Amino acid sequence: MSLAMTMAAPRPLTDSGRITVAFAMREGAMLRVLGLVERRGFEVRGVTMAEHRGRASLAIDVRKRDPGRRLAVVAGQLRRLHDVEAVSVSEDEV
Amino acid sequence: MATRAPELLQQDGTQPLTGAQLVVRALEREGVTHVFGYPGGAIMPVYDALPGSSLRHILVRHEQAAALAADAYGRVTGRPGVCLATSGPGATNLVTGIANAFMDSVPMVAITGQVASPLMGTDAFQEVDTFGITLPIVKHSFIVRDPAHIPQVFADAFEIARSGRPGPVLIDLPKDMGVAAARAGEPERHPEPPHHADAQIIARADAMIAKAEKPLLYFGGGIAIGRAERALRDLAARTGMPSVATLKGLGALPTDQENFLGMLGMHGTRAANVATDECDLLICVGARFDDRATGKLDTFAPNARVIHIDGDESEIGKLRRAEIGIAGDLTAILDALTATPEIGAWRDRCRRNKRLWAARYDAPGQGVYPPALLKQLSEVAGDNAIFTCDVGQHQMWVAQHCRFTRPQAHLTSAGLGTMGYGIPAGIGALFAEPDATVITVTGDGSIMMNIHELATLRRYRLPLKIVLLDNAQLGMVRQWQELFFDGNFSEIDLSDNPDFAQVARAFGIEAFTVDRRDQVPAAIDRLLRTTGPILAHVRTDPRENVWPLVPPNSPNIHMLEKTT
Repeated sequence: MSLAMTMAAPRPLTDSGRITVAFAMREGAMLRVLGLVERRGFEVRGVTMAEHRGRASLAIDVRKRDPGRRLAVVAGQLRRLHDVEAVSVSEDEV
Repeated sequence: MATRAPELLQQDGTQPLTGAQLVVRALEREGVTHVFGYPGGAIMPVYDALPGSSLRHILVRHEQAAALAADAYGRVTGRPGVCLATSGPGATNLVTGIANAFMDSVPMVAITGQVASPLMGTDAFQEVDTFGITLPIVKHSFIVRDPAHIPQVFADAFEIARSGRPGPVLIDLPKDMGVAAARAGEPERHPEPPHHADAQIIARADAMIAKAEKPLLYFGGGIAIGRAERALRDLAARTGMPSVATLKGLGALPTDQENFLGMLGMHGTRAANVATDECDLLICVGARFDDRATGKLDTFAPNARVIHIDGDESEIGKLRRAEIGIAGDLTAILDALTATPEIGAWRDRCRRNKRLWAARYDAPGQGVYPPALLKQLSEVAGDNAIFTCDVGQHQMWVAQHCRFTRPQAHLTSAGLGTMGYGIPAGIGALFAEPDATVITVTGDGSIMMNIHELATLRRYRLPLKIVLLDNAQLGMVRQWQELFFDGNFSEIDLSDNPDFAQVARAFGIEAFTVDRRDQVPAAIDRLLRTTGPILAHVRTDPRENVWPLVPPNSPNIHMLEKTT
């Protein structure tokens, strides 16, 4: 597996966005996801979740607590969680 | 305590075993040899299953020490250290050690007892939500809900703890899960596939290195985590690049290597910080632009483009934009870089600065000068030594003045900054590498955080050599109050400390006191010659500060220096 990447210059960000996380519905998984988002500098403003056969999709509407926070960074940290299978972010959903 | 016949633990999955027996079998299957712990109510079934196993249990005197010793064991061996505690206060006492491992990416498996499943959530005796409390400080965690799951839970826990960017994994074991019997087979294994460097990105990185006029290698704890020392040394030799290290990176290159400029950052060398300020290309390997290393982030390496190489993809671009980011196996990536830049003038300038601003050891007076003592001690102790540090001024003096030829020789609480780490870490290091000369450097503030572990040293006759630098103050706090709080000294006086040599002797440990500089050579000789545990109580000048120092939130080149 190759994990190489080229870093693009960061785009200007709004202060709100949506993080969508697909994960395995194991014990504590949702708490782990939401807790990480909160701890890494985002206010959770809304949550929508769907579950099918042990797989969950969680859409989290967030607002940055300070201008230095970036959705791409928290997405990378979410991907490290053992239960998490995919993460996508958008800045225009809210 | 009842004993179990060994044959009970050798049965295959066709016969039921208790959950506790399955725990012991799972640990044996993972190759665990040492478990650091402290028994109590909810974990008693596991303690009941320990005798007769191949596991050696190390009884500490406080659960925090179990976690910190397991942390050190994990750092030295690269295998998860294991700690064991009961529910409630046993588990909460582990928390600092788990957080310590999390912050420094150390492989660890922490096992906690829990009240029986039907009592969970009822505020039962010694019940606490260990799973919830530790969520932010573990890489992953499990609650055992079925004893038949134990083999798989443990196999997954060890794999998660040691794979990728390592970290602590918690397993919470309700008491009824330890008592109930189950048939359980062999666990399935899901090892992570190897990561390979992408050839195109490597070529771009090589081109950037080849064009650089003032490249600088900036490396951190990721080198030790990835066991990439050989590849780093080869790269440094191939390119002749000057280099700087974070606190956790020390030893990845020998600290006396000619192009190594020292630690960067708040208590880094002037040569390292100036080179970082002047470089036009920063090759960051296994480091994370931590605030102690960068100072004011937007002034850090202001002229440099960045190649960021890390085992953890999420670190790339987290704090500093990188022109090129490469995530994966560090050894493979470093070996793939072949550029050899023409940087003679830059290299000469960095070497000249290193000589010009080298630390001086000619302090006035007859008192013990800690930097000189530590430099002398590390030179005499040699490459077989492992230094474990507590936190405070002495921690920085060790980083600045001791000589390291491997990162496993410098065990320090870098991320969390845990006072009390030193002696438990020394215990863990001695079980991990029994032939090493293990030296704990501590302070009079830090040692009191886990001083009870002197009893553990005595119990196991561990030949830990403790150097206690006693300035009768919380020295680092005092230094900051002096420099940044207008000399308003608040709650830093420890002049009512006990007689530490007497305290050590009360634990059955040899001890002596050093007051003067001329006593230092004999003290070092005695420390290193003594075969059992020994404590050197060294009285130092309370006015001594750690220099250089970058004030908080300042550029790294704004260093305060010693003026007298």
